[in-house]
Amino acid sequence: MLSRSKEDYLEIIFNLESRGKGVTTSEIASQLNISSASVSEHLRKLAKEELIIHVPYKGIALTAKGKKVALDVVRRHRLTERLLTDKVGVKWEEVHSEAHKLEHDISKVVGDKLYKMLGEPKTCPHGNPVPDASGKINEEPSSPLISFEKNDRVKIVKIIDEEPKLLCYLATLGLMPRTQIKVEQKAPFNGPIMVKVGNAVYALGRKIAESIWVKKL
Amino acid sequence: MITKGSCHSEFKRISRDSKFIIALVGNPNVGKSTIFNSLTGLDAVTANYPGKTVALNMGTAEYKGLKFGIVDLPGTYSLGSVSDDQLVARRELLEGNAEIIVSILDATNLERNLYMVLQLLDLGYPVVVALNLSDLAAKQNICIDHQELSKILGVPVIPVVGTTGEGIEPLIKTCIAIHSGKIKLKPRIPSYGKDIEAYIELLSSHIQKCIEKIPYGLSSRALATLLLEEDEEFLGRIASEKNCGQVLKSLEDISTDIEKTHGERASLRFVRERHGYEGAIVDRVQTMGVCKIVLADKLWRLTIEPVTGIPILLFGLMAVFVTMYYVGGFLSNVFEFSWTAFVSPYLDALFNGLLGHNALSRTLLWGFDAGIKAALSVGIPFVMTFYIILALLEDTGYLNSIAFLTDSLMHKIGLHGRAVIPIIAGAGCNVPAIIGTRVLTTKREKIIACTLIILTPCSARTAVIMGAVAFFVGWQYALAIYAINFVLGILIGRAMALILPGESSGLVMEMFPFRAPKLTHIMKKTWYRVKEFVLIALPIIAVGSLVMGALYETNYMWLLTSPISLVVENWLGLPAVAGICLLFGILRKELALELLLALAIVKYGPDIHNLLSFMTKQQLFVFALVTTLYFPCVAALTVLVKELGWKVSIAIVIFTIVLAVAVGSFANLFFNTVKIF
Repeated sequence: MLSRSKEDYLEIIFNLESRGKGVTTSEIASQLNISSASVSEHLRKLAKEELIIHVPYKGIALTAKGKKVALDVVRRHRLTERLLTDKVGVKWEEVHSEAHKLEHDISKVVGDKLYKMLGEPKTCPHGNPVPDASGKINEEPSSPLISFEKNDRVKIVKIIDEEPKLLCYLATLGLMPRTQIKVEQKAPFNGPIMVKVGNAVYALGRKIAESIWVKKL
Repeated sequence: MITKGSCHSEFKRISRDSKFIIALVGNPNVGKSTIFNSLTGLDAVTANYPGKTVALNMGTAEYKGLKFGIVDLPGTYSLGSVSDDQLVARRELLEGNAEIIVSILDATNLERNLYMVLQLLDLGYPVVVALNLSDLAAKQNICIDHQELSKILGVPVIPVVGTTGEGIEPLIKTCIAIHSGKIKLKPRIPSYGKDIEAYIELLSSHIQKCIEKIPYGLSSRALATLLLEEDEEFLGRIASEKNCGQVLKSLEDISTDIEKTHGERASLRFVRERHGYEGAIVDRVQTMGVCKIVLADKLWRLTIEPVTGIPILLFGLMAVFVTMYYVGGFLSNVFEFSWTAFVSPYLDALFNGLLGHNALSRTLLWGFDAGIKAALSVGIPFVMTFYIILALLEDTGYLNSIAFLTDSLMHKIGLHGRAVIPIIAGAGCNVPAIIGTRVLTTKREKIIACTLIILTPCSARTAVIMGAVAFFVGWQYALAIYAINFVLGILIGRAMALILPGESSGLVMEMFPFRAPKLTHIMKKTWYRVKEFVLIALPIIAVGSLVMGALYETNYMWLLTSPISLVVENWLGLPAVAGICLLFGILRKELALELLLALAIVKYGPDIHNLLSFMTKQQLFVFALVTTLYFPCVAALTVLVKELGWKVSIAIVIFTIVLAVAVGSFANLFFNTVKIF
């Protein structure tokens, strides 16, 4: 078994990769709240074990081997989150850090049992997909709304990383998974994006547009 | 000042004077305030909600001798609690101050607008629906069967056109009929999918058993829907109840069940159900013909397309600046001239005649002649001009296009796109610009915007820069003062964005094609905004002028200047007499220069028209620079306090003084070392 910190690194890299942003040393450092220097040190070790590919100043990517481990950790993490919210009653906002402490000590047997007991959940409480036992994620491919151009017609797949309140607010405007929207206009200088939902047209700030993930129709 | 508590005292006054109160609710931009304006007379007031930066419009109206009050709640898309606007609208509704709720819908976008109506019906509130913009809907070939809609919802639905006043009378009649009991409302509570209804019933039966007193007197069904929506306020309130255990347990089971069957959070599922219900209603009542693309829509597209929109915006901002500067300035001159010609002599005669030529009569003249003249010549020309511009931008919808284009640049200084207009207007006069920050939603944004506005040289400060520096020192030095101001503004905005807690709010703004503004509406809006300013600022400026005048006439002013003479003489390198001028600049910035000339004449005889025989070029530059930066004038301070409260205003004032002294001293030191002049 890999050490806790190695698992943590692979998990963070996986999450950053799936968010579609480049993975950099400083990004990892800020997530772990440690210095970039010690992150680099760790990354060298991971690269040696062929879990990641690290090209200094360019970026970091998981290898197939690394991805397999990462998916396993992610599965344990998301199942633990489910367990903590559904059965133990830990609050939505606190569950992420709590799950982080427990996830490492869950064996494959316990993990599979947990999956069954929780009713084979598709997603974690935040809406991210739980990989199945073989480490596959069954999810529609999608990318952030902000990466689309004028006149593109898209369907919302998921809304990530936001407060539940904002999520609900967007939903009342009709911005929720499975809704079809059209990109009407993009403002200059990386400004807001304008979308049409039903009969209404909204300008969405960049931050919000980055968290709405869509699929082209 | 008028911030805290005034909202409720106004409310008390209105409810004392009237038989019943109507609350207007609706999405933003559905023409709520237009309807408010056509309902109320000219006595409408705007008051801040206690502890919030959100303002409420309140007023009274009369129909055939029956007086009733009207409260215009902030426009929101739903009754959640994400922003201050939503919170205020929701509080007012829940507290039940209004007997009748009129829900105003945009007929051109029925589907989205129905959401809040369903929310209100879910909470068990009887509402009257006003279908606004029905003329626009007809133009777009949208036809809504309002009688059918009324049948489905079980409440009256009245088509209205806010801008022309069509349908307003039937709306008032309906409200009065409800008040007098002639119409009984039988709101039909929305019915959702079978499983959701079963969950609601289950949860509400637990609520009935366990919760003794439901907050705000809501029904158990209403509370059940709120809990399913994961409403934070109500979850918190229920959690503090004695027997809440069973309710929360049942809620948890239901949420897990919903998530399992539908694969999404219960709250999200619930929202989806409402959208589904609203879609079903729209299918039954609305028929849509082919929508013609109208001219307004084409124009609007040009303003949001970056290639054409940015030049249009630059031109528009120039137009705002030029209008504020020239039209405002021209009106101001006309006003001052007429006052000086037709009012001053009489006041002069009055006070001197009654009291004789002495310090007392001169002091009274400071207050009632100079003071009132100052307040009116800022208030009427600049505030009015700005309000007409702002009303035009708001009513046509161009403000939204501006916000869309400039949002990302303004984010860098902690603001968002809507802040552009007030800041540009600040170059004409800070006073209306500060009031204009009401278009911003969070306190953080307002603080940053107000600070930047105060650092923007207004027309009075431009008069000092032009009169002292451009005229006597050289135009390039006048430009340098503007450049220093601009750079300081950017740096301070950026620094405040980094230091002040919170983030610039994520933008979700509805966009809509241009609408034709209505002149009477704009004039009415402008009128009571100007009236409000004059009523607040006039007494304060008059009293301020009286105090300053008294200090000056009794020579106590010189005592005041001695403690600051260290700063004025040693740090800024200015003659001590300039200190008095700076103090007077607090009343009106251009007074600083006028007084400087006057004192020069007193000291060196009447033929001193050249300031250079009295101060060096370096001193004039520093004097103008300090005048531009320090302390907002009294009028600006008055509105600043009204918008932000005493504490923040005083902090901003102290900051500007420190900044002015620091920059002024640095400039003095710089010129002492590098001898340019």
